[in-house]
Amino acid sequence: MKLTRFEKARIIGARTLQLAMGAPPLIKVSKDMKDPMQIALKEFELGVIPITVRRRLPPKKEVGELL
Amino acid sequence: MAKKKMLSEKEKIMILEKEIKDRIPLSLYEELKDEVLKVDLTEDELKEVIKEVKKRYEFAIVEPGEAVGIVAAQSIGEPSTQMTMRTFHYAGVAELNVTLGLPRIIEIVDARKEPSTPMMTIYLEPEYAKDREKAKEIAKKLEMLTIGDIVERTEIDMIDSKVIFYLDKREMERREISVEDVVKKIKIKAEKEYDEDKIIVKAKEPSLRELRRVREKVLSTYIRGVKNIKRVVVRREGDEYVIYTEGSNLKDVLKMEGVDYTRTKTNDIHEIEKVFGIEAARNAIINEIIDTLEEQGLTVDIRHIMLVADMMTVDGEVKAIGRHGVSGEKASVLARAAFEITIDNLLKASVKGEVDELNGIIENVIVGKPIKLGTGMVELLMKKEYEQMRGA
Repeated sequence: MKLTRFEKARIIGARTLQLAMGAPPLIKVSKDMKDPMQIALKEFELGVIPITVRRRLPPKKEVGELL
Repeated sequence: MAKKKMLSEKEKIMILEKEIKDRIPLSLYEELKDEVLKVDLTEDELKEVIKEVKKRYEFAIVEPGEAVGIVAAQSIGEPSTQMTMRTFHYAGVAELNVTLGLPRIIEIVDARKEPSTPMMTIYLEPEYAKDREKAKEIAKKLEMLTIGDIVERTEIDMIDSKVIFYLDKREMERREISVEDVVKKIKIKAEKEYDEDKIIVKAKEPSLRELRRVREKVLSTYIRGVKNIKRVVVRREGDEYVIYTEGSNLKDVLKMEGVDYTRTKTNDIHEIEKVFGIEAARNAIINEIIDTLEEQGLTVDIRHIMLVADMMTVDGEVKAIGRHGVSGEKASVLARAAFEITIDNLLKASVKGEVDELNGIIENVIVGKPIKLGTGMVELLMKKEYEQMRGA
């Protein structure tokens, strides 16, 4: 699934927060990779972040009900 | 070496249908097909073209969550400020005065009942369009003419209780009307006398009020023409004659013989709505705004204007942007109160006991919740596989 830029931002943001609060990284991290966002971006690139999005369809409306 | 071979028409269409037909809008597909058939291409080249078209099309799609309304407002608002600085007056087109620039834009989005300068562009059917005389003939039939237009002055005779109309001979000659024609049009049941340069109408009662009434009635009598069409100008445009009119009456003009009803237009959006319906009104709004902007040398992406036109017409009738239209009819109390006349809206809503569901953007900004737009619209979930893995 192709994510919108908003979805991408939210996923990386959420993962960064987890890492910043001490969650173990899902990839091998070298010594000089300390920034949680850098790690989160790398994880996103590799597709290992276990977060996805829910997309809702607009609610079905009765005929005649417009606004 | 087979790949280097130029494709035949059949092969091209086959590749197009397989690769792209269902991925892009039909109109775009047709355009692409027409262009591709015009040139020689190898299979690789065609695939490259298709790839580029797909890329550009996908790039043009707006992502869900994008604040299209704000972007449209800014994209129209910015050039509009340029307009205020440059002009705020009338410009003559074909000897007719037409409201242009910012005043015209305001007029359109306010959905005024009548434009300040209603105007029609009347195209003619081929046999009339090429012939100057025939075009003029139609123009003459169009122009509204009342007795008032050919009367120089009037006199009220209290003694004999009659009204005397002195005719403007030169004007009558110019418009090719005889005194008899005029007298025939006066439908009042009263004694009428006439000679070369005046018409006398006797009133039934000898009162000043009655005499005045007779005078007004006679002066506003139609001699010929279409109601509301005040002035007519015939202009040559390319290889045909086109009629421009001041004043608008779409319904009656379309019925006239020789008028090409497929191309004739008016700048009165409400009239278009009445005659052709809401979809036509939407198109008219889009075209009018684009034309006014373009006339000023400004280009705004059509999609912004389409959004405005859509907002104005979703309900099946043309509504204004602003207090009396779109913004005034929002479902949310807080959104309405935030726009204009705050206290009034809150008061009326509380009297009615309205409930705000906090579904929109403005309401949530007011109460301080995250808004459903952009990143705020995204709902995060744990991936299913990961959860199952942990559960196992």
